[in-house]
Amino acid sequence: MSWQLKDSSSVITIRWIPRYDGMERFLHWAHTAAFFPLTITGMVLFMPLFAPLAQGEAGQFIRVTHRVCAVFFAAVPILYAIFRPRRLLSTLRDLRLGHYDIEWFKAAVPYYLLGRHRTMPPQGRFNTGEKLNVIVLVSGTILFTITGLVMWFGKGFVPTDVFKAMVIVHDLTMIVTVNMFIVHFYLAVAHPLMWQSMVSMRFGMVSESYAREHHSAWYYGEERARKLYEEKKAAAIAGTAPEGEHA
Amino acid sequence: MNKKAMLYDSTRCTACRGCQVACKQWNDRQGWNYSHTHNTGSYQNPPNLSPETWTLISFQEHQSNGDLKWLFLKRGCFHCHDAACVEVCPTKALKHDPVTDIVTLQPELCNGCGYCSQFCPFGIPHLESNVLSGEGKSAKCNFCQDRLANNEMPACVKTCTADALSFGDWDQMVALGESRVEAAKPRFPNANLYGANILGGLGQLYVLAEAPAVYGLPENPSYDVARVWQEIVQPVAQISFGVGLLGVAAAWIIARRHIRVEEVE
Repeated sequence: MSWQLKDSSSVITIRWIPRYDGMERFLHWAHTAAFFPLTITGMVLFMPLFAPLAQGEAGQFIRVTHRVCAVFFAAVPILYAIFRPRRLLSTLRDLRLGHYDIEWFKAAVPYYLLGRHRTMPPQGRFNTGEKLNVIVLVSGTILFTITGLVMWFGKGFVPTDVFKAMVIVHDLTMIVTVNMFIVHFYLAVAHPLMWQSMVSMRFGMVSESYAREHHSAWYYGEERARKLYEEKKAAAIAGTAPEGEHA
Repeated sequence: MNKKAMLYDSTRCTACRGCQVACKQWNDRQGWNYSHTHNTGSYQNPPNLSPETWTLISFQEHQSNGDLKWLFLKRGCFHCHDAACVEVCPTKALKHDPVTDIVTLQPELCNGCGYCSQFCPFGIPHLESNVLSGEGKSAKCNFCQDRLANNEMPACVKTCTADALSFGDWDQMVALGESRVEAAKPRFPNANLYGANILGGLGQLYVLAEAPAVYGLPENPSYDVARVWQEIVQPVAQISFGVGLLGVAAAWIIARRHIRVEEVE
């Protein structure tokens, strides 16, 4: 997609590249909409501080709300598999981790903290951080669903040792996913350089320049992206990085 | 604190089940499946503890050395000093009475989560909850707290015809239990006192005719998982959320200072 003004000398042309389709965006926000009330109601039961809210009728309402939201939360990955089986497979393929992911982590700290990103290793449709987020959230959803179902329907039927293990796993999963979510929320909503991630989840598009910078292996193809990256790294070491070029 | 205890002497009990009836009467509990009583092949009736049955005499046929013994035991809350149910209850409906150390349950605070029923090492608290919504209330013996407050014995103790139930200060009940064990030894060589040394001292002490394992009682019950949950997982979670939020806030402040969006993009 592109648009142009008549006077081409002062034109800024943005080419938009599709990244998420409508179903993916809808399911992302459905997952979010379920995640918030699940976290809040779960915390009420989990944190001793909130015990007054967990008591009696209010507590029963909290527990029912948790269960209703859990159904939607667990349904999201299933709906994705039903409606977009091929995109699900390609997404799962995009989640594979490689040696560039370790390099990405080294480069990510100065980039996300200080805005320095001359030598970001090439990334596919998802960068390392996004991959980690998806891996944690997806495996978290699966663990939540299994342990939650046992806690919901297995009470009194499964051995108490099994039930107790489920409670512990449910809570450990919660610790990991909620902390992951804190980082995800920060990067998506508050980080000054990441405003395009919000655009991409709302409208499904990212700009060409964003794709080139953040997802060069997706934009150029893996081989070319790797070549560009190695060249750039060599130039950076030699101290002759081209001015104004960050790609 | 003036820790109280109940002593049940299984070598004296005749399994008349007067305690069951007295308990239901005083605490206003329904009979189990009242209109459809059916034979389950045992005098034990109802078959299990439930929100309506806080105490229950269990009947067990036990064979040893070719000898058949009929063992009775009064089941119900043990009022542990180190109580898993109190530790895991998210509503504080379960707590220790500060004076008597009795484990009490305040039904209007209970939200029916059922953690107490799962984490109790003896499986005492029971719920009958709606499977879908999870609505229900936990209920269990409270040693007739309301009667104690008026200097009355618990209903089961009051009604016991065989003098198998005693109630009083914990130390006295332990001493009484030890003397009862000695007295029972000639007839029951395996007799023992159960509950004085486990979980910080149980409020419900037993004089058992046979080893605890014969009755299905744990020799050395613990609630390690509840402890791990409440004393490790929970604080770790709270610390991690604090670290996560503060870390992100710090990262945001640093990023806002150092990143000039126009330059980078």
